[in-house]
Parts: sequence; structure tokens; C-alpha cells
Amino acid sequence: MVNESIRVDEHVGELLSGMVDGELTQQERQRVTLHCEQCEACRNDLAELRALRERLGNSSLSEAGEDTWRETMNEPVVANTRGLGWLLFLAGILAVAGVGMGAFIVDPSIPVGMKLILAAIYGGLALLLISVLRQRLIERKTDKYKDVEI
Amino acid sequence: MRQELAQLGNGAHVLAIQILGNADDAADAVHDAFTRVLTKPGAYQPARGPLKPWFLHIVRNCCIDMIRRRRPGPVDIDELTDSGAGPEQALEISQRDRALQLSLSRLPAEQREILVLRDYVDLSYAEIAEVLGIAKGTVMSRLHRARLALKEELLPYG
Repeated sequence: MVNESIRVDEHVGELLSGMVDGELTQQERQRVTLHCEQCEACRNDLAELRALRERLGNSSLSEAGEDTWRETMNEPVVANTRGLGWLLFLAGILAVAGVGMGAFIVDPSIPVGMKLILAAIYGGLALLLISVLRQRLIERKTDKYKDVEI
Repeated sequence: MRQELAQLGNGAHVLAIQILGNADDAADAVHDAFTRVLTKPGAYQPARGPLKPWFLHIVRNCCIDMIRRRRPGPVDIDELTDSGAGPEQALEISQRDRALQLSLSRLPAEQREILVLRDYVDLSYAEIAEVLGIAKGTVMSRLHRARLALKEELLPYG
């Protein structure tokens, strides 16, 4: 029995897509079903839309696989852990150097002259290192070819 | 979560290709989205809904940011005229999908992305509305127009 409130004589248009996607209410589904029983054009459209959805759904539009994305995803993590690793390493070195320096300064068995000479050598090395690092940082910031791969 | 994100990579990449117009930029956009998500682990709240539409919304935002960097000013996705994958890129995918890819590339960006979100990524209408930031009621009509347009484009291929 046909529900009189359902207009079966009008084309159902976009409801066909809703039907294909299972997104219609029960009343809308009934309207589309009843209309398609009478309208060959809409019946054909419905079949074509179903085929189109299936074709797009089964297509392979990206060459990359799941493994590629897993590797891509790991890149920021690798970068972050590498940064943390360097930080821990440098902090450890500085702590050991600090303790050694303290023990060296307070050690009464080492003459003051020797302490001054060694302090000058290590102080000079530290200044040279800082100078080179500073130069490298400036070059890195201002080098317009830094992203060019050879 | 990482496993789920890796599974979403392909769908996200195909969506980004539709917006940006080439596979390399699209891969960069997906990479940016992964970085955004993984560096803020608490950003995703499962109670608010599934991961898939939330992540794809971020991918879409990353694409829009990339376009903005290329061309400063407001970005209207509906006005993007870049086609999807070009002929050279389409050659890389299987012969069976070549006609489909070329036909898709001739549609406007808003039609390409809604087709991919529904038929390739398999989102519901409510999820598509969330990703695109449009009303749920708009999804069915826009999607239907997109399908009719794609059907027309596929006609010459039989």
C-alpha cells in the first residue's frame, strides 16, 4: 500500500546519493524506493551512482603505503629524541667538567702557578670553541644556499 | 594512536592532493599534520568523537596553511582552481584508475575533496561536515552534484 504523504511522482535527485550512502531517514528511503519502482531514469541513476561510489572506493589514488606513513610519522619523534639526547650528553659533560674543575682548584697539592697555566690552556680552548660555534650559527642563519642539496 | 594515524595516511594524502594539486606538497602537509598531532598528545580527546575526521580536519588546515604561505591572504577552498594530480602523476597510478584520476582532476576542489572524503576515505555525512566545517544538510547536495559532475567527466572513457 502506497503512503499518500510520499510523493512518488517527483524525481528524487540528491536523495539518490543519500540512498547510496545509507544516510536517509526511513521515510526518505521509502520515497526513493517507491519512486525508483516507477521511474526507470532514477533507477538507472541509482545504479550508476552505486557503481561510481564502488569504483572510487576501490581505487588506489596514492602510491604511499602504511609503512611510508609510519616512517614519516617517526621523523619528528626522531628529531625530538635526538635533541633530547644531545641535551643530556652536554649536561653530563658540563657536570663532570664542573666537578673536576672544583676538585682541581681546591687541591692543595697542586701549585698555584700550575693551576693558572692549566686554567689559561682550558680557558683558551673554551673561548676558541665558543668563537667557532658562534661563527657557524651566524653562517647557518644567513646562508641563503643552506637548503640547496648537492 | 600511531597505528591508527598510519592507517589514515593514505586517505589524508589523497585528500591533500585534491586541495594542493600535487603529491609532494600533499605529503608535506600530511607530515605537518602528524607533527602537530604527535607533539601535542593531549590535543585529541576521544570523548569528542572519532580520530579520523579530527585528523583529516587538521590535514585540511595544514593544506590551507601551505596555500596561505604560497599566496598570502584569505584562502577560500571553493575558489581553488588547482587541479588534482596532473597527467604525469596520473601515469604513476594503475591504468584502471587513470581515467578516474584525470576525471577527478577536472572537477573544482570542493567537489574533489567531498568525493574523496565520502567514497575514498569512507566518512559519514556528519564526519564530512566536521572536516569541511559545513552544515550536515549541505553535504548530501554537494556530494550529489560532485558525483553527477564526475559521472559526466568519466563519460568519454566509457
